[in-house]
Amino acid sequence: MRPEMEKVLAEIEKVLAGKRDVITKILTALLADGHVLLDDVPGVGKTTLAVALSRASGLACRRVQFTPDVLPSDLVGFSMYDRQGGGLVYHPGALNGANLVLGDEINRAASKTQSALLEAMEERQVTVDGETYPLPRPFLVIATQNSVGAVGTQFLPYAQVDRFLVRLSLGYPDYAAQMEMLKNRQGANPLDRVRCVLGREELAGMQEEVRQVLSRDVILDYITRLTLASREHGAVEVGISPRGALFLDRMAKAHAWMDGRDYVTGQDVQAVFADVCAHRVLLKEHAEKTVEAMLEDLLKTVENPDRHSRGMRKP
Amino acid sequence: MRKRAAGLAVWIALAFLLYFFENNTGTRIVLAGSLLLPLVPALRRGLLEEDGERGKPRSLPRPEEVPGRREEESGGVRAYLPGDPVNRIHWKLSAKRDELLIREREREESAEKDEKKAAGEEDAPAAGRSRKRLFRAALLIFLAALLLLGLLPSARRGGMALLNRLFEASEAVNAYAYVRLDVPAGQPVTLAAALAAVLGLSLLGMVLGAESRWPALVLMAGIVLFQVYFGLSLPAGGNVVLFALFVLRTLRRPRSRKTILTAMAGIGILSLAVLLIWPGTDAATEAASEAVRDRLSRLTQSAGGTARELPAGEKEVRHVLSLSLTAGDGEARPEGEYRLETVEEQQIARPHWVSYLRIALLLLGTVALVTLPFLPFLLLNRRRRKALEARKAFESEDVREAVTAIFQHVIAWLEATGHGRGNALYAAWDTGLSPGYPERFAACEKLFEEAAYSSHEMREEHRRQALALLNETEQTLWRQAGWKTRLRLRYGECLWE
Repeated sequence: MRPEMEKVLAEIEKVLAGKRDVITKILTALLADGHVLLDDVPGVGKTTLAVALSRASGLACRRVQFTPDVLPSDLVGFSMYDRQGGGLVYHPGALNGANLVLGDEINRAASKTQSALLEAMEERQVTVDGETYPLPRPFLVIATQNSVGAVGTQFLPYAQVDRFLVRLSLGYPDYAAQMEMLKNRQGANPLDRVRCVLGREELAGMQEEVRQVLSRDVILDYITRLTLASREHGAVEVGISPRGALFLDRMAKAHAWMDGRDYVTGQDVQAVFADVCAHRVLLKEHAEKTVEAMLEDLLKTVENPDRHSRGMRKP
Repeated sequence: MRKRAAGLAVWIALAFLLYFFENNTGTRIVLAGSLLLPLVPALRRGLLEEDGERGKPRSLPRPEEVPGRREEESGGVRAYLPGDPVNRIHWKLSAKRDELLIREREREESAEKDEKKAAGEEDAPAAGRSRKRLFRAALLIFLAALLLLGLLPSARRGGMALLNRLFEASEAVNAYAYVRLDVPAGQPVTLAAALAAVLGLSLLGMVLGAESRWPALVLMAGIVLFQVYFGLSLPAGGNVVLFALFVLRTLRRPRSRKTILTAMAGIGILSLAVLLIWPGTDAATEAASEAVRDRLSRLTQSAGGTARELPAGEKEVRHVLSLSLTAGDGEARPEGEYRLETVEEQQIARPHWVSYLRIALLLLGTVALVTLPFLPFLLLNRRRRKALEARKAFESEDVREAVTAIFQHVIAWLEATGHGRGNALYAAWDTGLSPGYPERFAACEKLFEEAAYSSHEMREEHRRQALALLNETEQTLWRQAGWKTRLRLRYGECLWE
């Protein structure tokens, strides 16, 4: 892994032990300039993770706890008549000026609020009363949705889930990690010990470098074959969208960059495939497999690029 | 030329189909199928325009193609020339092109005629004129002979006698009884035969001298109708030759001598093959005819009356038996006329599908026998050449290409000896050939990925590293392999030299 990212990872691990994999994936998504959907049970450290990440990488962090009565204007701001100035004055919302937005329990928000957030994610700007305000770069939304206790929630529509680059899950810590966490919390809040090891500009530069990573035609061909295969799979109702293919490429690039390469290999694509695509696939009713098993199937059956495009014999 | 060949192939296929049909059913009515044959040239014209002369799609000529009258005969429009009627100007296109264009109104036929006329006037005016003269002369002779044949009583009777002989000959091979024309016996036929010969010759002259293809088509249709009406079927092979000649006649002019010779040779070979390989109609119909006659005579004998055959439907023969019966005890009884009408299905030769199948199988078998012994060599050689070509990449200028090729060979070796894991990542492959090998393999895999997926420059030492791994792989696996695997590696996969 790149030393810069290694440092950030080390800082975050101070507060969240044993979650190296997920943290790496979140960092990768951050580099790929995409948004993260955390699908998790309550209390496993999603907020801690976000705050630690923002501190370690010098990002401005905002946290929005979504409830049914959070309004779009809370997110994107609103204009109000100013009696002294005699005109409309824009009051920024939660998204303005934030690099990292933690949207807690996004599935409890009203659908218009959800769509306001998702618009901002896609466009990276907010528009209020015809005025457009660009959001700062980098801009990362980590949205969480609780998979239990979903009473009174609005499940994210399929079209909106599609806008998240990856869907991840922290999961419960194991014995050693939980012990360490408990010990950590005996003294001061470990969050205070997290140092800033990365600048905002540095991060933007890395994102640019990730964009420059080379995906040769064989890789694009592989991605295309994977997505097409997902659409033709018998158990699948809705396959991977073209946006999914784009995101897959972006995430693979970030993965390659994290690995210290400036070119994407088939293994990069395979490594990020499940995280990028699992939430984009809708299985048919009564499908026997889980989505994960289906994606695993695809990886097994679709020939990987160094075996497909180079005219090698099939096994 | 290729289209011409395709046209010929279509014709040959149709001729064969027709022949099989006639041969299998062996009846005169089937000759109506021969009527299809004249359609072939029309089909050919519609489907397979040759050499693109008139077959070009009616696309717009480009401006540089429309200076004069001669080139653009193929398109739908041409440039305006002084003297062209104004109402034929293609205004829409003219506006588009910014020059006056004339819509070509003539049908293809007349355009062709123009072309022919123009060609004739330039190239061979004498030939065209003499052909026309031949046509006229042949027409006159034909009409004169027809008149003589119809008006001269002796010639007319001779013609009838000739027809009777034809019926007799036909009866010998067909199962039909013909109604004879009423001609006194011993009627001399010399005059009629001579006139008939003149008729035939003049017909041929007309066909040859005609400008258009219609006389040939009409004549062909006439012959077919004649055959159908009188039931005078030639052997199927003869039909094929005859119609082939007419089709040849209707081929579009100008024809090169080569085309004609090729077509004639093809037709000759075809009809020869038809006549030699397959038994003609004669055999089949003769058998049927025999059976019918046998039954006929048995019927006559058993009833003791006279049997007369009435012309009836195509597939049945109607016998009418008129008998005079007398009582057995000699007592005079009024003789009764009894009419016994029997209808018999004529026996028709069944199709010889089996024999066709046998012939097809034989042909296939021959082809297979001829090619089979060479097949392994061809295949082996191809593989070998491919393998050598793949190895050539090792010395490629481009190190990336070389590394890729070398690593592929390593992979091929591992797969051929059962160490491969197909689509799985290389990390999951069984690379435990020798201590330290997995590490070297992983390093080489990294090199390969760099070669395959990046745009980096690679150095010679990378090539050397990959070659070293390949060498090690080859040596190790060859040593471990049994004789069967070795054979496969050497000849099947062509991995080992």
